Amino acid sequence: MAENGARADVRLTIDGVEVTVPSGTRVIEAAERVGVVVPRYCYHPGIPTRPAQCRMCLVEVEGRPKLEPSCTLQATDDMVVNTASDAARTARQAVIEFLLVNHPLDCPICDAAGQCMLQDYAYVTNQLESRVDEPKRIMGRDRISDDILYFADRCVICTRCVRFMRDVAEDDSLIVAQRGDKAYIDTFPGRELDNPFQGNIVDVCPVGALVHEDFVFKTRAWDMDSAASVCPGCPTGCNVTIDTKENQIVRVKPRHNAAVNSWWMCDYGRRHLVMTNRGVRADVPLVRDGEQLRPVDWATALDWVAGRIDALGSPGGSAVVSPDASNENLFYVERLLGRLGITGAAFIVPQGETAALPTVPTLKLRADRAANPAGAELFGGRRVDGLRNGASAGGLVVLDDELKGADEDFGGSADFFLYLGTRLAGAARNADAVLPIATFAEMDGTFTNFEGRVQRFHQALRPPGLARPGWMVLSRVLARLGDGEAVNDVRGAFERMAAEAPAFAGLTWDGIGLKGAAAAGSGAEAAGVAASAEADA
Amino acid sequence: MSFPHGSDLETTTRLSRHQGSAEARTLEGWRARGGYEALRRSLDMSPAEVTEVVKASGLRGRGGAGFPTGLKWSFMPKDDGKPHYLCCNADESEPGAFKDREVIRWTPHLLIEGCLIAARAIGAEHAYIYVRGEFFEETRVLNAAVVEAYENGLAGEGILGSSWSCDVTIHAGAGAYIAGEETGLMNSLMGNRAEPWAKPPFPAQAGAFGMPTTVNNVETLAAVPMILEHGAEWYRQWGSERSPGTKLWSCSGHLVRPGNYEFALGLPLSDIIFEACGGTPSGRPVKAVIPGGSSTAFLGGDELDCATTYEGLAEAGSALGTASPIVMDEDTDIVAAMRRIAQFYAHESCGQCVQCREGTSWVVRILQRIEAGDGRPSDIDTLYELCEQMTGRTICVLADSVVFPLRSSLDKFRADYEALMKPSLVAAG
Amino acid sequence: MSRRIHPAVVGAQPFQLTARETFDGPIFETEEGRRRLEAALSRYPTKQAALLPMLGFVQSVKGWIEPEDMVEVAEALDLTPAYVHSVATFYTMYNKHPVGRHFVQVCTNISCHLNRAEEVLRSFLAETGTREGETSEDGEFTVIEAECLGACGFATVVQVNDRYLENVTPDGVPEIVAKLRGARDGAAAGGPAAEGDA
Repeated sequence: MAENGARADVRLTIDGVEVTVPSGTRVIEAAERVGVVVPRYCYHPGIPTRPAQCRMCLVEVEGRPKLEPSCTLQATDDMVVNTASDAARTARQAVIEFLLVNHPLDCPICDAAGQCMLQDYAYVTNQLESRVDEPKRIMGRDRISDDILYFADRCVICTRCVRFMRDVAEDDSLIVAQRGDKAYIDTFPGRELDNPFQGNIVDVCPVGALVHEDFVFKTRAWDMDSAASVCPGCPTGCNVTIDTKENQIVRVKPRHNAAVNSWWMCDYGRRHLVMTNRGVRADVPLVRDGEQLRPVDWATALDWVAGRIDALGSPGGSAVVSPDASNENLFYVERLLGRLGITGAAFIVPQGETAALPTVPTLKLRADRAANPAGAELFGGRRVDGLRNGASAGGLVVLDDELKGADEDFGGSADFFLYLGTRLAGAARNADAVLPIATFAEMDGTFTNFEGRVQRFHQALRPPGLARPGWMVLSRVLARLGDGEAVNDVRGAFERMAAEAPAFAGLTWDGIGLKGAAAAGSGAEAAGVAASAEADA
Repeated sequence: MSFPHGSDLETTTRLSRHQGSAEARTLEGWRARGGYEALRRSLDMSPAEVTEVVKASGLRGRGGAGFPTGLKWSFMPKDDGKPHYLCCNADESEPGAFKDREVIRWTPHLLIEGCLIAARAIGAEHAYIYVRGEFFEETRVLNAAVVEAYENGLAGEGILGSSWSCDVTIHAGAGAYIAGEETGLMNSLMGNRAEPWAKPPFPAQAGAFGMPTTVNNVETLAAVPMILEHGAEWYRQWGSERSPGTKLWSCSGHLVRPGNYEFALGLPLSDIIFEACGGTPSGRPVKAVIPGGSSTAFLGGDELDCATTYEGLAEAGSALGTASPIVMDEDTDIVAAMRRIAQFYAHESCGQCVQCREGTSWVVRILQRIEAGDGRPSDIDTLYELCEQMTGRTICVLADSVVFPLRSSLDKFRADYEALMKPSLVAAG
Repeated sequence: MSRRIHPAVVGAQPFQLTARETFDGPIFETEEGRRRLEAALSRYPTKQAALLPMLGFVQSVKGWIEPEDMVEVAEALDLTPAYVHSVATFYTMYNKHPVGRHFVQVCTNISCHLNRAEEVLRSFLAETGTREGETSEDGEFTVIEAECLGACGFATVVQVNDRYLENVTPDGVPEIVAKLRGARDGAAAGGPAAEGDA
């Protein structure tokens, strides 16, 4: 047994490959370093407790009489581990067969089909037929929370969900009831889960036992497209995967990032992300024609807008930007504002209740309910509580703020009112031009999170109609005014931003990768966040 | 009638000699029988000396596994500054075993004395006696004895006027066989589900309440006072080198005189069954015996000459276990008996490990189908394969426990299984 | 380190199924409830360890444990009701439904099985006119099959409330049932204590 406390490295052999790992590393994790993923159910890297109860990760260790669970077995010097010996493979195959004694073969109507660890392992262990001839135990389904259903018959009692709630969320409200093959997952009778992070239990479920009600019977896993993204719900910037089908978001899952959200995200974020893409969209450029806003094609709109700005010169004025706008959009708007002589765009951050995940200090649902207030500040924005009527003369530029609470004649007295938006906000009625732009989910870009971490998100959806990324639109307006070139992909936008905005100096699109990197001079950089910007998917 | 029988055979009533006398239950009666003298003696010894005597006696754990008791005590850390605990395992639930119950209800002070001596040896500040919940009567008796012990300076602070203190608490279980597994027991003591945990951590490192803990069976602890009183050599006059001492035997099933007995280890099993217990009431031959409680392998009626020692029964292909022979006469339906045993394990599986949770109930369902006449020869192969996969794969040995009787019943009584199958199928198989 | 013993109480409670009607309202607000809780807490280094003793106490008072009781126990021990539910459903002795005045558990495990236990069970069901697990209409009897009660040498073993009946035969069941009908809370019908105390 390894000595406690000592953190020297140990060297062991796994499936014939030597590997050196820090003392204390468990074999299941050491195996991953040599590219071997030992099948597992109860083990989850984000859940600290390891009951070793699913017995799926048993491996053979030379010199030991019994197979050992690799999730708890400490790697020691000269240990020789065989994860694929006959004994280990037979034992795994048996676990699958045992699980299928009662697990229903309802894969055709199971939401986890295609992403199910029981299906996958049964497939790789090549079990052509079952010897189980007995009727299956039937338990039925239950409601675990207002939006989570529990299909008890599919449950493999790995207790990941129970241990997420107990050991990660520190909310001991989800438990195993009964025992033996009558055991099931339950809340207290008559009470449902009520935790702001409970949605994660669905993500950790290795089978289709726990499902979000709004996902049930919605799509087959193989029909979904996925994109790496960042949750826009608050400035934490949890890394997520957006799953879409037929250009609709059907599911949002957290994506691991040790420096930000670990393996988790909050339920508010999940719901919010889906909602960001709902509502009536602006999908065609509009320019003023007397009392009317007239739909036009992009070339006409861009020429018209550039012409008006060119004619105005530098009249000063005001601007409102959305704290949900991407860094690139904010950068280009700032360029445009500079051209118009406008400084200090106002931005309003809606507020909400906070929620913390006790064991993951960086993961918090923050009071600011916007993706990028930090970015807005980096580009000289001013946080304001509410909007006045925008009565000032000169230019008025609004970037995707819905102008809630603005007067009916908001912007009416501006010399030129440019509205770039994803939706057709009521207060845009006085605009001289409305340019339809993509939501964050419809484009590539970056947000700056609360501690200055710049994180990439990728396009998950096609934008509707003629809507295009803000940076694409604005780069074209500016190009027509002689300021730089039109960019067609986010790399171009990001590179120009990094070259010209000091906060982003030294960052490259590829360099920040899928895990993000610290903006210059941000708290995150000081905290060494940049060091963890390795691009493992 | 629940105390050990006298019999034609030479029974060696040492541990059980005061069973059957209601007076021995009281402190006064117990003292009159030399009670608490061993405790007094242990107070003059160092904990290490106490452990050494028990080690030298060769006393092995009487809960089923037979681990040397003194060695187990010696695993406890010394002078680590942490509280230590002793857990007395009185969760007697192994089908066939009913010996601890008699120790508790007739000689509660013997158990308390054994607990205190063990607690002193391992440096425990508190001895918890985990009594299975169904033993209401036994709990009442034991509770009265513990109260007496406290009131007379035999438990609590300054035991027998010494500077040593140790609390004794009875903790009642609530219906779970698996609470008799030592980590399951400690979980249950702590107010959890009685789920065994994967070792490490071992109890002596981090057991009950995260502190070093030793778990000993009732009979084990009850043997300690006499060993301390008379010495290791005295204890070794009975039994064999590897199985010294005397042992309580819970005999049940088809017997003329079922009940508890105490014998020196090493008698032939057949003597116990035929001489002491009088053979079968029907007078028919013995078909099978499960010698060590339901978790041990079947022996056939022609395999009963083996010596009743740990090694003797192991050589015979079974185990001493809890020394609880369950005797079945010639008319016994082995498949039904095996199904009933398997049902117990399915009912008592805690449900953590897949092999046990699903395997035990799968075995039951197959056996029920065979019993109903719907069996196929391939079922026997499947059962053998399940035995293979349920052995040595799980956190605790509950799954293994069903395998021992199951595999041996298939080996030795295959014809019983096949007799229930359709003849054409058997021939084809 | 050492605690003074509480008068007449050391750790686990001797179970008494006698006082069902006397507890109305929150159990741990009664004097007896407070006393039991305090006594149990004094025996363990953690509050949680008093969970089994307190569930046992509730059952000894009410004969069964309902969800509201679990909430009370949870509050008394700083646990969540869900956790108490998890533990309570693990152990078979906690009745999650009301049972008859005489709760009859017939062991049918191996040694009893070899001694006609299934017939004893059927006989109890027939005499009480119930199906397994069902309480008779007059509320007198609930009969269930039980796992090993740890008295295998005296098969068939039957537990009635907190008493063991030993060497029960199918033929003896009518007399037992008749005695129980006339008895208060299963105190009669013999039992090992009666013999042992003699």
